[in-house]
Amino acid sequence: MKLAAMMLLAGAAAWGKPEVVALPGKSPIVNFRFVLRAGAASDPAGKQGAAALTASMLAQGGTRTKTYKEIVDALFPMAASISMQVDKEMIVFSGATHIDNLESYYQIFREALLDPGWREDDLKRLRDNLINYLRVSLRGNNDEELGKEVLYNEIYRGHPYGWNNAGTVSGLQSLTMDDLKKFYREHFTQANLIIGLAGGYPPAFLEKVKKDFEALPAGAPGRMKLPAPEALHETRVVMVEKKTRSVAYSFGYPIEVRRGHPDFPALLVAQSYLGQHRQSVGRLYQRMREARGLNYGDYAYIEYFPRGMFQFEPDPNLARQQQIFQIWIRPVEPATAHFALRLAMFELDRFVREGLSEEAFQKARNFVSRYVNLLLKTKDAELGYAIDSRWYGVPDYQSYLRGALAKLTREQVNAAIRRHLRTDRMVLVVVAQNCEELKQKFLSEAPSPMTYNSPKPEDVLNEDKIVEKLKLGLKAENIRIIPVEKIFE
Amino acid sequence: MRLAILGLCAALLATAADAPRKVFSLAYDQHDFPNGLRLITVPTEFPNVVALYIVVQTGSRNEVEPGKSGFAHFFEHMMFRGTKNYPPEKYEAVKANAGVASNAYTSDDLTVYHMTFSKEDLPKMLEIEADRFQNLEYSEAVFRTEALAVLGEYNKNSASPNVKLFEVLRETAFDKSTYKHTTMGFLKDIQDMPNQFQYSREFFNRYYRPEYVTIIVAGDVKPEPVRALVAKYFGNWKRGSYRAAIPGEPPQTAPREAKVDWPSPTLPWLAVAFKSPAYSDANREVAALDLIAYLGFAPTSDLYQKLVIKEQKVDLLYASNPDRVDPYLFTVMARIKNPKDVDYVKGEILGTLASLKDNPVPAERLEALKKHLRYSFALRLDNSEAIAATLARFVALTRTPETINRKYELYTKITPEDIRAAARKYFVDNARTIVTLASAPAAGGGQQ
Repeated sequence: MKLAAMMLLAGAAAWGKPEVVALPGKSPIVNFRFVLRAGAASDPAGKQGAAALTASMLAQGGTRTKTYKEIVDALFPMAASISMQVDKEMIVFSGATHIDNLESYYQIFREALLDPGWREDDLKRLRDNLINYLRVSLRGNNDEELGKEVLYNEIYRGHPYGWNNAGTVSGLQSLTMDDLKKFYREHFTQANLIIGLAGGYPPAFLEKVKKDFEALPAGAPGRMKLPAPEALHETRVVMVEKKTRSVAYSFGYPIEVRRGHPDFPALLVAQSYLGQHRQSVGRLYQRMREARGLNYGDYAYIEYFPRGMFQFEPDPNLARQQQIFQIWIRPVEPATAHFALRLAMFELDRFVREGLSEEAFQKARNFVSRYVNLLLKTKDAELGYAIDSRWYGVPDYQSYLRGALAKLTREQVNAAIRRHLRTDRMVLVVVAQNCEELKQKFLSEAPSPMTYNSPKPEDVLNEDKIVEKLKLGLKAENIRIIPVEKIFE
Repeated sequence: MRLAILGLCAALLATAADAPRKVFSLAYDQHDFPNGLRLITVPTEFPNVVALYIVVQTGSRNEVEPGKSGFAHFFEHMMFRGTKNYPPEKYEAVKANAGVASNAYTSDDLTVYHMTFSKEDLPKMLEIEADRFQNLEYSEAVFRTEALAVLGEYNKNSASPNVKLFEVLRETAFDKSTYKHTTMGFLKDIQDMPNQFQYSREFFNRYYRPEYVTIIVAGDVKPEPVRALVAKYFGNWKRGSYRAAIPGEPPQTAPREAKVDWPSPTLPWLAVAFKSPAYSDANREVAALDLIAYLGFAPTSDLYQKLVIKEQKVDLLYASNPDRVDPYLFTVMARIKNPKDVDYVKGEILGTLASLKDNPVPAERLEALKKHLRYSFALRLDNSEAIAATLARFVALTRTPETINRKYELYTKITPEDIRAAARKYFVDNARTIVTLASAPAAGGGQQ
């Protein structure tokens, strides 16, 4: 851990100068990714949402010389836009333009970042958008993402990662224009900036960009000092009560592994075996969905992966100093909810105890080594991963993984699993209707036998006899039921 | 052999020479096999990776029998349940070892099976895909289990009010058209799926036939070897004979309206829809309706500026005229911040559509939009998978990428007068369906 941090410092920029990640090429498309080393974890106390709202004001508001309407009108014929993404320690502004429009696009992009308009009507609209994202899109319309986000909030309670990247409703409501300007002044500095450019731009263009961004204050290099997440002594359960027809689960705990940690490649292979995101190769998917039809899919993660229900590959530039191990059980029918959780725990337990067989190891390692090609299939993704590699202090992602995977052994993977993963001391989030009833089922530890609509192979039925009685070992005092209206407020 | 390759190169060069005017300018090889299968190979400049998209011209539109809604999508799931030579474990192992990203999706007019992988794996991938398209075999027990995964999919979608809104919009707007149901299908039909084993075999025999299928291979490939591989693995596939009698939609005779009570808190949604013509790359009215979706409702439009930016009564506003094989719906969607503004927003949307009938759109706006469409298409094609995925949508409609160029060429010719004519013809009361969705009173109403 200490070693990794030192490597990062060694690779960091000179005092007060932006870092540059440039991938010049022949493509007629030019990709921009400008990353600030700041994010929701930099939100001041009581002002949760400062990072998100400031970034929104830049990407989706006017500049000093142009109203938002004028910007939209100017970008429209180019089919270009400025996107933003706010995570705990990174704010990204990204966009793509055809080379024909490079100058006109860049002019707007530069102005948005360097000369924001700070208009009250933009603030009102963008604040509403963020509050509606929390209250309506997340809390109301997407039980799966809700479960995942509550999991992060709960694992990191009392920690700078402990609220949603969009902030909290009360934090957003309290933010004033001055708060946003202050956030901008403090965090939008040259030292915090990584300039990412890819595609067919002329060399002089990059020089011009570097020069233009000298307009930002120099700032001090360095990275956020984060406390360790609160230690988990027992499994803690948060049940979110809402009107919904099914039951969604997410559970996990912090791990010290992140890109650059010696066990990262091993855990990546392990994760792929257990639950490769949205692919049918994972063990959880095979046992829960394919063998038993319990739900639509079941996956495992060692890095933050938001919006997974909408996309197959993770977005880059969500780099964090601290990550969690997480299992995502897609919604199950209430009648089989108890069994499904038991089965997930049963599989996790077997995974931790037995690890991967030699055959499973080879398969998962092959998968990960080749899948990395696909993760980097666009220039934009390549740029994003290159920035992340710089941030984590590792070689470019492809070489980093290929090199490490070639040397990896099954024993190393299984040892890494035993070192970092476990079946107890976790946070479990449940999104369901009638939480109290489900809670009582959990606490009763009563058998939850499965009935199927078709004959099942002997091995499944035998396994079910064990799973249906599996003790979850939860304690009443560690289970909280929270009405959905209270979340993110 | 050598001559043939030369001939092919000449053909590609000819295509490339015409390229500057075409929005889809990549040279491609389109080849028909004797059994009716079509292959489209698109060599791209992106190294190492190949995207294989297999497009079946069958979707929920083909679900003509009562009680069978959602079946095309369900069947897509069954295609992952193996063959004699490649039972599921073996099929998955092949894909795992190759690091393949694979999935499938179903919509109204198409079912697409797609894979993206490293170029050296192309022969193996074509082999396993050809095998399952010809020799799919699964037991009734497996079939019944998979039906539950489909129910799980319905469950995970069911938290979204949009999904429900579209379900009700289609059910209200159509009487006979199979677009009356969504691709997911009605819940009661999904719950009955485990009992449809025999029908599933019938479905496979009807539609999983070469004449319904187009294979797209895009990436680090050359056409000739791809043709040879496809001939080798798909050459013996037998042509079928089934043609579904898909009912036409009778003319609508009065405006329609429906309301949806949403059980939990949400902001109200409004869908304003009008019957619109089937996809065509030659019909100016279709092109004009496509453009109206932007002119009337994109972020640059007057209405968006008014409702979203200035008055801030709406936080989401968009419109679309989706490409469909049969006549479908031009739809405007809005999410409204305060339930008491729903009628006001409805009036504004209808007012915007009505004004398009009388007031010609300014020429410079139309030109900006035409530019937008060309650049937006070009920016989208930034990797082989995106190229194949884009072609798949169009191939499902007409079986050829050329339709893209014809469609975009037509856009360049649309005049303000075309816009007016299309608005007058299609935005009429008797073609209209409006659906509103809002929290049921007990759910606590809208917020913020």
